[in-house]
Amino acid sequence: MATSLDPVQAPALTAGAVGQFADPTASSPRRRLPQLGRIALYLVLSVGGFLMVVPFLWMFLTSLKSLSEVNTFSLLPEGFRWQNYVDALNAAPFGLYFRNSLIVVVGQTLPTLAIATAAGYALAQLPMRGKGKILNYFIALLVVPFQVLIVPLFLVVRAIPLAGGNDILGQGGTGWINTWWALIIPFISSPLFVFLARQFFVSLPADLADAARVDGVTELGIFVRIMAPLAKPAFVTIALFNVESAWNGFIWPLVATSDERLRPLQFGLATFAQGAGTIQWPLLMAMSTLATLPMILLFVFGQRYFIAGLANTGIKG
Amino acid sequence: MTAIKEAPASRGAATSRRPSGVERAKSRAGWILLAPALIHSFIFIAVPAIIAVVLSFTDARIVGRGGFIGFDNYIELAGDTKFLRALGSTLIYTAGVVPVGMAIAIVIALALNQNIRARGFFRTLFYVPVVTSTVAVAAVWLWIYNPSAGLANQVLALFGLERSSWLTDPDIALPALIVIGIWQGLGAKMIIYLAALQGISEELIEAARLDGASRWQIFWNVTWPGLAPAHFFVLVTSIASSFQVFDLVFVTTGGGPANATNVLTFDIFTNAFQRLQSGYASAETVIMLIFVGILIYLGRLSQRETKDN
Repeated sequence: MATSLDPVQAPALTAGAVGQFADPTASSPRRRLPQLGRIALYLVLSVGGFLMVVPFLWMFLTSLKSLSEVNTFSLLPEGFRWQNYVDALNAAPFGLYFRNSLIVVVGQTLPTLAIATAAGYALAQLPMRGKGKILNYFIALLVVPFQVLIVPLFLVVRAIPLAGGNDILGQGGTGWINTWWALIIPFISSPLFVFLARQFFVSLPADLADAARVDGVTELGIFVRIMAPLAKPAFVTIALFNVESAWNGFIWPLVATSDERLRPLQFGLATFAQGAGTIQWPLLMAMSTLATLPMILLFVFGQRYFIAGLANTGIKG
Repeated sequence: MTAIKEAPASRGAATSRRPSGVERAKSRAGWILLAPALIHSFIFIAVPAIIAVVLSFTDARIVGRGGFIGFDNYIELAGDTKFLRALGSTLIYTAGVVPVGMAIAIVIALALNQNIRARGFFRTLFYVPVVTSTVAVAAVWLWIYNPSAGLANQVLALFGLERSSWLTDPDIALPALIVIGIWQGLGAKMIIYLAALQGISEELIEAARLDGASRWQIFWNVTWPGLAPAHFFVLVTSIASSFQVFDLVFVTTGGGPANATNVLTFDIFTNAFQRLQSGYASAETVIMLIFVGILIYLGRLSQRETKDN
C-alpha cells in the first residue's frame, strides 16, 4: 500500500490498463489509487514549485513597498510604489551598470558564436591529424573550475604585451587590467561551447557538404553558407548560455576592474547590498527584480534550447 | 567520443594513399576554423591552469616577483587554522547541498516525467533559480534572512518557533547558506535527471509490466539503473559547483560571522587579492582541485559498485 501511494510512481498505473485486467482481485483499490496518486503528485509539484518561486515573489512584493513599510514584516505592499524603480535607478549609477553589462554580453557572445562553432564544426566534420587528441584537450579544459583560474588569469591579463604600458615581454604596466578587453577577450570562446557545437555538427550528414564541394563551393563557404544555417539550434543554445553567464558574472569583473565606468550590473547590486549603513530594501529588491527579469524571460522563451543544450552536454558527454 | 575512434582511420588513410586535393583543402580549412578557439583556450585556460600549479611552489605576490620555495606553501597551509576551517566549511557545504539536492531533484524529475498537465510550467518554476544571477538571488535571501522583518523568521513564528538571527549566528549561517545552495542548484540537477528518464525506453517498462513486475520492481530494476549515467554527471557538476561557491558568500556574509562561512574560494580570494599572496592562494587552489578530484573519484567508485550489484 505504501508503495502504491508513492506520489511519484502511482500515476504510472493509468497507463497500465493491461495489468489491471490481469489481476482482477486488486482492481478495486487500484482503480481509486491513480486518482489519489495524481492528487498527491500535483500537490508535491505545486508546493515544491511554490517554494521555488517564493523568494522571487517576495522580492517583487518588497520592491513595491515604501521604505517605512519594511521596518516590520508585511506580506503585501500597502500600495504599488513603482516610484521605487525610478529611485533605485537614481540611487546608484545603475543605468551605467546596465549599459556595461550589455556591452559585456554582446562583446562576449558574438565572437563566441563564430569561434566556438567554427571549432566545433572542424572537430566534427573535417579530417585533421590528431583530432581526437584535440577533442580530449577541450574536454580536459572543460572540467577546470573557473575559480582555480582567477589568480593566474589575472596575471596573464596583466601581462599582455604592449598593452597598458607593458613592454614587449608584458612587464612594467597593467596590461588589460581595468579595460574592456579584460572583461571580454578571456571569454570570447569556451571549451564547453566548442564541445556543444561539435556534438551538434556530428549529427549532421556530410552529403550536403559533399554536394556543395562538387559544385565548387570553398570549404569555408560550406561552413558559413551551408552547415552553419543547419546548426541554428546549436547557435541559439550557445548564445543563450553565454548571454546568461555573461550577464550573471560577478567575480571576474570584481577582480579585473576597479574603474566604476566598467563595472557591470551584478557588481552594482553587490555594492548596493553591502552599502554602508542601513540597506534600502525596497530599492535593492527593485534592482534585483530588474537584474533577474531579463534572464527569466530569456529562459521562458528559450527553454527548449536551454534544455536541449544541457541534455546534449550532460548525457551524451 | 566518436572522433577518437575516427582518428586512427583518418591517419591510416593519409599514410596509405596520398591525400587528394579535396582532402587537403578540407584539412587546411579545419585547422583555420579550429585555430582561434585553440589559441584562445591555450592562452586563457591552459596556460593559467599551469601557472596556478607553478605559482603554488613560489612565494609570489600579486605585485612583484616571487622565488621558488618548494613545498613551503603546502606545509604552511597544513598548519593554517583559517584555511583548515575553510576547507572544513566547504566540505560541510558540499555534503549539505549535493546529496540533499540530488535526492530532491530525482523526486521532482520522476514527478515531472509522469503524464501530467502543465509540465512545462512546473519545469520552469524549478529551473528559474538556475538562470537568475547568484548576486541578485543572494540579495533576496539576505532580505529573507533579515532578523527583524524577514520572511524566514515569520515562517518560524507561524510554527511557533523562536526567532533566529540566521546569517549573523555562527552556528546557523552555514546551514542557512546550504538551504540557498540546495534551492538554487535544484533545477540544473532536475533537468539532467529528466533528460535521462526520458531516454529510458517505454518498451522496456512495458515488457517488465507484462512480465508481472510490480511498479516498485520496475522502478528498482528499470528506472533506477537508467539514471546511473545521470547520477555521475550530476554528482561531478554539483561537487564542482559547490566547491566554487563565492558570489553567495560575498554578498550575504562576507565569510562571517567569525569565519563561519569563510569557504575555500573566499579564503583564496582574500589571500590573493587582499593580502596579495598569489603563491599561497595558488597552493590553496591546487588543494581545492585535489579535493574535487578525490570526491569525483569516490563518486565514480561508488557508481561502479552499484552497477556490479
